[in-house]
Amino acid sequence: MKVKYKIILSVIFSFLAIMAGVGLGSIKVPPSHIINIIANKIFSLPLHPDLQSSTALAIIWKLRLPRTLLAFLVGGAVAVSGSVMQSVLKNPLASSYTLGVSSGASLGAALVIVTGFNIPFLGVFTLPVTGLVFGMATVFSAVKFAAMMDKSLETNTIILVGMVFSLFVNAILTLVTAMARDHLAQLTFWQMGSFSLKDWSNVIILFPIVLIGVILIQSFSKEMDIMTFGEDQAFTMGVDVHKVKWSLLSLSAGLTGSAISFVGVIGFIDLIAPHVVRKIFGSSHKIVIPMSMFFGGSFMVICDLIARTIVSPSELPVGAITALIGAPFFAYVYFSRRRWL
Amino acid sequence: MLSLQNVNAGYKGIDVIYNISFSLKEGENLCILGPNGCGKTTLIRAISGLIPHEGSIKIDGIDINKMKRADVAAKIAVLSQISTIYFSYSIYETVLLGRYLHMKGRTFKEPSSKDKEYTDKCLKAVGLYSIRNKQINELSGGQLQRVYLARTLAQEPDIILLDEPTNHLDLKHQAELIDFLRDWSKYEGHSVIGVMHDLNLAIKLSDKVLVLDKGRMATYGKATDVFSSNLLNQVYDMNITEYMVDSLRIWENFDHHLKMGKLRKVN
Repeated sequence: MKVKYKIILSVIFSFLAIMAGVGLGSIKVPPSHIINIIANKIFSLPLHPDLQSSTALAIIWKLRLPRTLLAFLVGGAVAVSGSVMQSVLKNPLASSYTLGVSSGASLGAALVIVTGFNIPFLGVFTLPVTGLVFGMATVFSAVKFAAMMDKSLETNTIILVGMVFSLFVNAILTLVTAMARDHLAQLTFWQMGSFSLKDWSNVIILFPIVLIGVILIQSFSKEMDIMTFGEDQAFTMGVDVHKVKWSLLSLSAGLTGSAISFVGVIGFIDLIAPHVVRKIFGSSHKIVIPMSMFFGGSFMVICDLIARTIVSPSELPVGAITALIGAPFFAYVYFSRRRWL
Repeated sequence: MLSLQNVNAGYKGIDVIYNISFSLKEGENLCILGPNGCGKTTLIRAISGLIPHEGSIKIDGIDINKMKRADVAAKIAVLSQISTIYFSYSIYETVLLGRYLHMKGRTFKEPSSKDKEYTDKCLKAVGLYSIRNKQINELSGGQLQRVYLARTLAQEPDIILLDEPTNHLDLKHQAELIDFLRDWSKYEGHSVIGVMHDLNLAIKLSDKVLVLDKGRMATYGKATDVFSSNLLNQVYDMNITEYMVDSLRIWENFDHHLKMGKLRKVN
């Protein structure tokens, strides 16, 4: 099948996933009504009579739409970040998690939850910002430490150091958790991620971050293609390997860090989405990066939909769903050698 | 075209090669020989700019330390050994990446129609044009080496460096690669510098030979002169001439047996 058609189908798939995410639940709303509500809010077009005095309007606009869009943004961001890490570190199992972003962010968030620490002008955003700062700090210390050990920043050194840092930070997190039993439920929930009670403010902040991050990453797509053949090779082909590698590691850690700092740690999407995309579209990053955004976003929306509807009215942590579906699915994707479509 | 003056280079501040000096004219090929650990790869890495060096390495009279990375890459390309493929691309995509330096656009690099034409030309030159849409992880070692060769040619370099390029290749593919490179340098007026273990291939490719012994130049000269000297025996610490003659004897014997009907030819 031609790449153009595959891209069109993927965009349609993402649109359907978002419509399902917004429309399904305790109250079911058809896509035509959803589009009507959006058009009414943005372009002040008249509302359908059925919607005028219904609770559906509030549920869609105030709860489900921001929640679904946030899920899409977070899923897309971690998936793009995952595909970058895999290429730069030339390891199909690499992700921001391997480098300790999530452990760092979890520790930062845990400290905020346990101490009740609050930065005045940040208000409710103290938690995500601290998560981001801790996540990024862990990655940078890991990469700096790796550079001290091995100036050429060999891929294996980075991955090993990242894992060591991750384990170390996780151990501190376990200690904090053990000492603060009162907050155990809140901590556990954050570590498994959730999109509940997220409103437009989250979407409005995350959207530009993800957009700029993904565009910047996209500008390195040729360099990433070349670097998958090895750094020495890339260097002799004229790529400024050191600069490109640092830029990509920072962008990708920043993207994951910002995304998970809003919603907690959600694993597996960053591993699965890039692999599925490569199976369908091949390895060219010019397509892998934007399609990872679409597929990662859609997967996350679907997982969130399952998380909030399967045991309704209560809700499961979305991280548990992504892992539950993700682990076996990843094994299948990874070990099936053939390309799809 | 390329000249080295008193070049020292190594790793972590410890020199592995010392005082290397030679120069190559356009269209001349050089083979670097020597036992394991004598510094052959280090020399290739220094010329390609992968490791820092002392002394001077000049291309067309300009020191590579004073050139931008991209300018060096426009002159010198490296044909890599076959290594693990982590993410598969089509043959065409892989060769097109060789045009990276020539692609237009500062931030978003895109291949021009000239880049695509040149890629087609390189694919035809190595005989892979008809299967250009195949994925590289479905190829045999010989085919993959040809893909990398086409990508190196697509870079449009003046000099191609080879570090044991014939690893993982069978005899036929080894000979084909060397023949191709020899013709390329002859007709295009470019140079090939290669590290090789196989003396037969080395003599097929090179006009000049540099023999390294413990990081120092043991000899440098015309291939025909070096191969007739006793120096190789000394450097490799074995009787190379006898080894070669022995091999020939085996082949003669083989032919003799074949003629006498003691061996059966299998088609």
